[in-house]
Amino acid sequence: MRESEDLLVIIRHAPHSSNCLREGLDAALVGAAFGQSVRLLFMGQGALALCREQQAGAPGQKASLPIIDMLEMYDIDQLNVPKRTLDDLNLPLETLVDGVTPLSEQEVKALFSQNRPILNF
Amino acid sequence: MDYGLLVMGAPYSHSAPHSALRFAHAVLARGHQLVGVFFYHDGVHNASTLMTPPQDELNLRDAWQVLHEQHDVALDVCIAAALRRGVVSQSEAARHGYDTFNLEAPFELTGLGQLLTLQQRCDRLITFAS
Amino acid sequence: MILHILTTPPTSEVAQQVEQAIQAGDTLLLTEAGVTAALNPDLHCWTQADYAVFLLEEDLVARGLASLAASHGLATVDIDGFVALTEQHPQSVTWY
Repeated sequence: MRESEDLLVIIRHAPHSSNCLREGLDAALVGAAFGQSVRLLFMGQGALALCREQQAGAPGQKASLPIIDMLEMYDIDQLNVPKRTLDDLNLPLETLVDGVTPLSEQEVKALFSQNRPILNF
Repeated sequence: MDYGLLVMGAPYSHSAPHSALRFAHAVLARGHQLVGVFFYHDGVHNASTLMTPPQDELNLRDAWQVLHEQHDVALDVCIAAALRRGVVSQSEAARHGYDTFNLEAPFELTGLGQLLTLQQRCDRLITFAS
Repeated sequence: MILHILTTPPTSEVAQQVEQAIQAGDTLLLTEAGVTAALNPDLHCWTQADYAVFLLEEDLVARGLASLAASHGLATVDIDGFVALTEQHPQSVTWY
């Protein structure tokens, strides 16, 4: 058995690009429902999942923002984005939902601990 | 050591399932226990009994089944990801009123919680995805 | 110590994500399309000294790049060595 350090779920896919985002968030929710403490890291295109103005996509393509809004109910309040991602995408922090914490390069590296379970989506 | 694998690529679309299968055999050859393989995202297509590759190509579903039969490896398929993509067991087919199904033992439809259990239970969880 | 497994070309956005995550003492294993890094020994991953880098031999051979990797003197492991790397590293992250 692993020690129960918090689960790191990495989201790297944007809304409406593939189902990786939804299925990654589902894994985070299930982890939380199983009593694991969960931290989310939105890297690269994954940061777009946090855009506060996003909507549903093509007909039948559900919006993923409601899942982001649900995270807090599951006590997932660690929503991290590398500052580097915001710079690379030219994505202002103000366009994202509340409660997002930008991380420095060192803080991002520190998340990758060998004792922490990690799932990369 | 106890190993688990997470497979998230579809067969014949991506190399992830082939890479995972090769790794699985290497894990066993080194004397480890392969506890289970969890199929998620597009990886759920590995379970389809209807996959029909040409005769000179490996049938990946059959290859996973052999792994189960010879080494008792659990083959768990995320139920939500599978149903969405049309990978359905007999009982789910009955529930939804379909007259056909394409997932059967030794593959098992299971909740996503099984992935987290596998991760906690195993010394190593290795992901193969595309 | 984390084993990072990169399955995409070294020029991909995914490869940049690995750079953000990898730390001194970690190991980088290049598999699938990741082995195309063998084409260019001047890439950052080959010139840095903070972490070890290996190419997966079988994927090199499949893509016809094995002799090139050897001529560049790049380190490889076979599939058995891949498993050995996972034994040595308590945690692995696959980047795809």
